[in-house]
Amino acid sequence: MIRRGFQAVIRLGHHRVLPGAPHVLPRLNRTSAFGSSTDSLVSRFCLEKTDLKDYALPNASWCPDMLNLYQEFLEKTKTDGWIKLPSFKSNRDHIQGLKLPFGLAATSDKSDWRIFTRCLQVEGQGYEYVIFFHPSKKKSICLFQPGPYLEGAPGFAHGGSLAAMMDETFSKTAYLAGEGLFTLSLNIRFKKCFPSAAAGRGIVPVTVTVPAQDPLQSKEVSPGSDW
Amino acid sequence: MGRSWLAGGPALIRTRALVAVGAMLRSCVSRLRTLAVLRGPPGVAPLPAKDPWSPRVNPGAGRRERAAKPGCVRGDPRSFSSEVIHMDLSLPNPSWNEDMRLLFDQFMKKSEDGSWKRLPSYKSKFTQRTEDIKIYFPDAKLMKEKLSQAQLFPRSLEEGLGFEYAMFHNCVEDRTVCIFQGGPYLQGAPGFLHGGAIATMIDATLGTCAVVAVGVAMTASLNISFKRPIPLGSVVVINSQVDKVEGRKLFLSCNIQSVDEKTVYSEATSLFVKLDPKTRLT
Repeated sequence: MIRRGFQAVIRLGHHRVLPGAPHVLPRLNRTSAFGSSTDSLVSRFCLEKTDLKDYALPNASWCPDMLNLYQEFLEKTKTDGWIKLPSFKSNRDHIQGLKLPFGLAATSDKSDWRIFTRCLQVEGQGYEYVIFFHPSKKKSICLFQPGPYLEGAPGFAHGGSLAAMMDETFSKTAYLAGEGLFTLSLNIRFKKCFPSAAAGRGIVPVTVTVPAQDPLQSKEVSPGSDW
Repeated sequence: MGRSWLAGGPALIRTRALVAVGAMLRSCVSRLRTLAVLRGPPGVAPLPAKDPWSPRVNPGAGRRERAAKPGCVRGDPRSFSSEVIHMDLSLPNPSWNEDMRLLFDQFMKKSEDGSWKRLPSYKSKFTQRTEDIKIYFPDAKLMKEKLSQAQLFPRSLEEGLGFEYAMFHNCVEDRTVCIFQGGPYLQGAPGFLHGGAIATMIDATLGTCAVVAVGVAMTASLNISFKRPIPLGSVVVINSQVDKVEGRKLFLSCNIQSVDEKTVYSEATSLFVKLDPKTRLT
């Protein structure tokens, strides 16, 4: 029954208004997110000169496996066209100037809000991750090391924490590929228990592939290498 | 009670209501302890305080002092005489907004006749549950040191910053309801709750529903359909129930609604598996 790795399928879509039916979500302004090319989205996303702290960098809590994989992909950013995505404390920092559709704008701009996957600030306690994105292949890989504060069953990561990591990787990939902004549905099959308290022992590279052209395609996550 | 209950003006009514709530909470606690003791495997005693599996007492205990509600669960030596004092976090605290408190009071009122029960929630698992888990996860012994640092994910953030929730179980209709207020550290798209935070709460609610039904169970699959984004800081109600049980498989579903039940934010179905002591999980 239990097999290695895990699979997830997500459906993201442009939120078209169906004729004659009340739409569930307001129409998104194409020029704000989807009209732009991947390259312009990436360059707006990856701010080169910024005072913001980038959390997607090695720190003392990273295990040797995590560091090795990170170095491996860093090499690929020079040769194979991969891009290391920065990770700031709030999505607002990433998408400055992005206009949210009418009805979805935040009512107040609070600077103390943090993106969920960076909620635990002490190094190694919660999410330690880096996302590498390949613009032309529309594919991304997330190196993820869970910490002891992500526990569910004693000794294992909370299902929700894994779902959140997957959702975060999906949404960054989808946004940069110009395919979507809000998650419509998320289907996850948990195949094997994921030790969280073994912080520093287990990491999983999550591969997300976005098929080109068809916006309503499901996105497959292939299981990473065995840990 | 009758007319005399109402006589004396609003202040007196409030005081009497609070005393009643206190008495009700005490009876809830004793009923819950009975339930917990009945659920545990026979012959397993609560762990003594020195066991490394027991969570450390939270030095910030003072924050949870609710002078207005006498006899609250946390730290009451009469209730937890033989166990390490836990901090029950499924109780109102200063970060709870009006909607949250209102809902909580409504459910506590419904708990008066015993058809509903408030489920306590701690930073790490019950010591009794930990004993259960040790049977299913024998390798976990090797990581004892790291485990004592571990915290249950939805309770790992400070008061008001992350997940503020309380769960209630309806014994008659056999369903679990969770009232949830998302804090500023759960952001996804600016101003809205992260899809993963929503998934975490759905997983936690469905997990509680499954555990109340069959004991120790783990998530096998989770299918969530997000219909509307949830604004950060708002209060939502998660209604979950067991749809079907097939051997060790449990099929559960839930939906997330606004307080007035007019907006459906998400729907989810899931499969949980009851753990078998004979099957290794790692």
